[in-house]
Amino acid sequence: MIRIERLNFTVADAAYKADTFALRNVSLHVRPGEYFVLLGPTGSGKTLLLECLCGLNHIDSGRVSIDGVDVTKLEPRSRRWGYVPQDYALFPHMTVRGNIGFSLAGAVAARVAEVMELVGVAHLADRFPQKLSGGEKQRVALARALAVGPRVLLLDEPVSALDEQTRDELCRQLKRLQQDTQTTTVHVCHNFTEMLSVADRVAVIDQGQILQVGTPREVLERPASTRIARFAQVGNLLSARAVADGTRLRLVCPGGIELRARIPESGEFEADVVAMIRPENIALTANVPENVPPEATILQGTVAELIELGPVVKVRVACGALEWLVSLGKREYTERNIRVGDRVHLVVAAENVHVMRSSPP
Amino acid sequence: MNPSWFRQPRLTAPVAGLHGRLFAASMLAFVGLFVVALAALVVADVGYVVADVGWANLGNFAAVLVSPEILAALWLSLWTSTTTVILGLVFAVPMGYALSRYRFPGRAVVDSVVDLPIILPPLVVGLSLLVFFQTGVGRWIESIGLEFAFQKKGIILCQLLVSTSFGIRAVKLTFDGIDPRFEHVAMTLGCTRAGAFFRVALPMAYRGIIVGGILIWTRALGIFGPLMVFVGAARMRTEVLPTTIYLEQSIGRIEVALAVAILMLVLTAVALVTIRVVGLGER
Repeated sequence: MIRIERLNFTVADAAYKADTFALRNVSLHVRPGEYFVLLGPTGSGKTLLLECLCGLNHIDSGRVSIDGVDVTKLEPRSRRWGYVPQDYALFPHMTVRGNIGFSLAGAVAARVAEVMELVGVAHLADRFPQKLSGGEKQRVALARALAVGPRVLLLDEPVSALDEQTRDELCRQLKRLQQDTQTTTVHVCHNFTEMLSVADRVAVIDQGQILQVGTPREVLERPASTRIARFAQVGNLLSARAVADGTRLRLVCPGGIELRARIPESGEFEADVVAMIRPENIALTANVPENVPPEATILQGTVAELIELGPVVKVRVACGALEWLVSLGKREYTERNIRVGDRVHLVVAAENVHVMRSSPP
Repeated sequence: MNPSWFRQPRLTAPVAGLHGRLFAASMLAFVGLFVVALAALVVADVGYVVADVGWANLGNFAAVLVSPEILAALWLSLWTSTTTVILGLVFAVPMGYALSRYRFPGRAVVDSVVDLPIILPPLVVGLSLLVFFQTGVGRWIESIGLEFAFQKKGIILCQLLVSTSFGIRAVKLTFDGIDPRFEHVAMTLGCTRAGAFFRVALPMAYRGIIVGGILIWTRALGIFGPLMVFVGAARMRTEVLPTTIYLEQSIGRIEVALAVAILMLVLTAVALVTIRVVGLGER
């Protein structure tokens, strides 16, 4: 569907951290009918990349194609890709009806009514944008982009300015709409929860470079680098020395702790690595654990802090010089009656230890 | 005229303590001081006219004000300045847009050149025009029937050169304040760059263009120096209201000169208030 090949673009803009900011050698493939998310921290270049796709930035080199047709030199109007900018940019001098019908000629009324019905903004038709709430503006901007009948829908942080409840609702609506219309969608965001609620696949971008492309599960559980792991706020990242030990890796961490891990699929690993263990993949028990998998590591520690986050409780456990973050469900936490200062055991299974290179790729 | 989306934003009033009230009072005091100073000048003028003419003769004096000479000057002032507004905006809108949106070599120089008529004494514009129409190009322009020196057309040319910069500046500031993203979105919705300008940027710049027009008009209505040099002060021919004021005071009829000035003030005030209320929705 959309193929980006070795795209390079440099911009001198104070909005970015450095004087000049560049998208470097970006290559991506978005499949037909896919909900694709571009995920990255603020200032990572994701909006810039989206603008390059729209034709709003004249790229330095590279190629953008859709269904094999090169559109790199096409003006934005000729691409006819639906674009919803971050601030929605609804035309203030036009009503909702005028905004949605902006791109249409001829049988405008019927198409506008159809799109307004689809997105659920028919009751707002005669209002001006200044009279709309954030969520309503988002829906109208989406309807305006859909009215074009786009082959591709490009959404730039479409729900970032909204409250949590509205954001969840609109994300569900976006996903449903995309499934109903089978419109290939590229959605830019910086929020993992938002990404998880909509994405079929995700590309992580930082400092103008694509760091990893994969399913949300792959990115969350098997991040390609420590940069991604840190951005994902994994919690447990340990520097270690890796030694091959049969079919497993033996990881020697600071403080003399040893972990077991799977050898990476490529079969290659460096001596200095970073081990990542997601907090929800660590088992926490009060007593000495039984039925432990043969290659699991058992650690002893003291509960240092309890962080209640609604349905989830994060438990910080001090094991010697290291601190581990363990995630428990609210019910599990309540049933076990865990308190600060309790002596506990942590079980880390080899399958849950993900090994990454210590230096950025 | 004033579309509903252009309503003035509602000003919120935070809870104000003594400091807040004192600050507001000091800010408003400057407004009051300026308005009172101007009002004092007008009152002094009115007082002078009434004292000089006397209450009993005010009726006869009013007849002087509607004499054919003054009415002709009034009409000439109105139509030339209005024409200047139209022509001035024809330049100001594209120039303001170009200077706001495009980056090109020498842009800083061009930006400064645009401000020159604001800085230069207006008299210099008249002198420069007189000199220009003595050059080969100037003579050629006159040879094809476009005579400006000592003609009514010359009044418009002077007004245009002196006042358009104010309009360009106002329009450029307005386009600066409009996020180019609106036009970008319009382009993704099928507009050409020109289409995005006419359908999005131009309507959104509505207020700025009206303000630009007001600035051009007020400046054009009041200029005098370049007209004296370039078109002269021929009664009933190239005489506009500022010329009338000059001619009347030069022959010693101070009270008539002041009365014409007051007439100009009233006319301008009525026009400005009307445009602000009807065109910009101000109260």
